[in-house]
Amino acid sequence: MSESNSAPKGIDPRGPRFGAVITSVLLLITVFLGLDPATADAAFILLAVITASFAWGATQGTAKHPYGLLFKKFVRPRLAAPKELEDPRPPKFAQVVGFIVAGIGLVLGAFDNTVGLTIFASMAFFAAFLNAAFNYCLGCQIYIGLKRIGVIKND
Amino acid sequence: MPIETKIFIIAGLVALAAIIGLIWKARTGKSKRISGGELIDLAEIGAIKNGQPVTKFGERVTFLQFSSEMCAQCKQTARLFHELEEHTPDVLHIEVDITNRLDLANKFNILQTPTTLVLDHNGRITSRIGGAAKPETIQDELGSFHI
Repeated sequence: MSESNSAPKGIDPRGPRFGAVITSVLLLITVFLGLDPATADAAFILLAVITASFAWGATQGTAKHPYGLLFKKFVRPRLAAPKELEDPRPPKFAQVVGFIVAGIGLVLGAFDNTVGLTIFASMAFFAAFLNAAFNYCLGCQIYIGLKRIGVIKND
Repeated sequence: MPIETKIFIIAGLVALAAIIGLIWKARTGKSKRISGGELIDLAEIGAIKNGQPVTKFGERVTFLQFSSEMCAQCKQTARLFHELEEHTPDVLHIEVDITNRLDLANKFNILQTPTTLVLDHNGRITSRIGGAAKPETIQDELGSFHI
C-alpha cells in the first residue's frame, strides 16, 4: 500500500463537522446583517471574528480550535466511538481556504464595500454548509486542481 | 431593505446550498464507462503494494485509486476496496498518492481525490469513478467482469 506517508495522528471526523455547523450559522447571520446598510458594521465585526476563527483552525488544526475543544468536552462523550479516525490535514486545509475567502470579504468590508463582504461571506457559507450537512471535503475537491494550476507548490 | 426580503434571501441561500449538496451527493462516487481506454503502465505509475512494486494486474479486475494528502475520503474508499479484495479472489486494489505526482494528475486529468480507475485483466481502463466510490458502484463494476 502506498498510504500517504507519515500521516499525523487521527482525529474524530465529526469534530470538524461540528465546527462547520457553528461556522455556517455564523456566516449566515453575517450575510443577513450585510444585507442592510444599517447593520453593515455588525456584519463586519462578526466576519472579523469568523476570519480570526479560521486563522486559528488554519494554524493550530481543528482539534485544538475552541470548537474542537467544545466538541471534545460536550459532544463526543455523548456519541459512540467513531468507525475510524481521520487525517487532521484535510480539515486544516479547509480552514486555510475559509480564512482566505472570509479574509477577502473582510478587506472589502474595510473599504466600505458591504456588497463584496456579503458575497464572500455567502461563498464561505456554501463551503461550510456543504461540509456540515453533506460531509463535503474541500481538500478532496480542489487541492489537486490548485496544485495542477500552480497555486499550491510542491514542498 | 424590508425584513421579508432579507429573510427570503437567507432562505434562498440555504435552499440553494442544499440543492447543490443533494446534486453533488447523488453524482459523486458513481462510475462512468470509458470506451477505448488506454493501457496502464504499472512501472510509470509507480504502484507499490505492501512495500513491493506491483507488476501484475488483478485476474478479474483492478481498482487503481488515486489519493492525495488533503483527502479525508480517500481512506474510507481504500477501506472499502481492502474489504472487497479480502473477500473476492482475483481483485486487486492499488492506491497511488498523487500529491507529488502531478504528471499523473495531468495525464489522467484528475481534479478530485479519490478518483478510481477500473482496469480489466490487461490493465486497460474501462471506467472511472470520481469521488468516494459508493459500495453499490463497486459491486456493479465487479459484476461487469466475469471470470
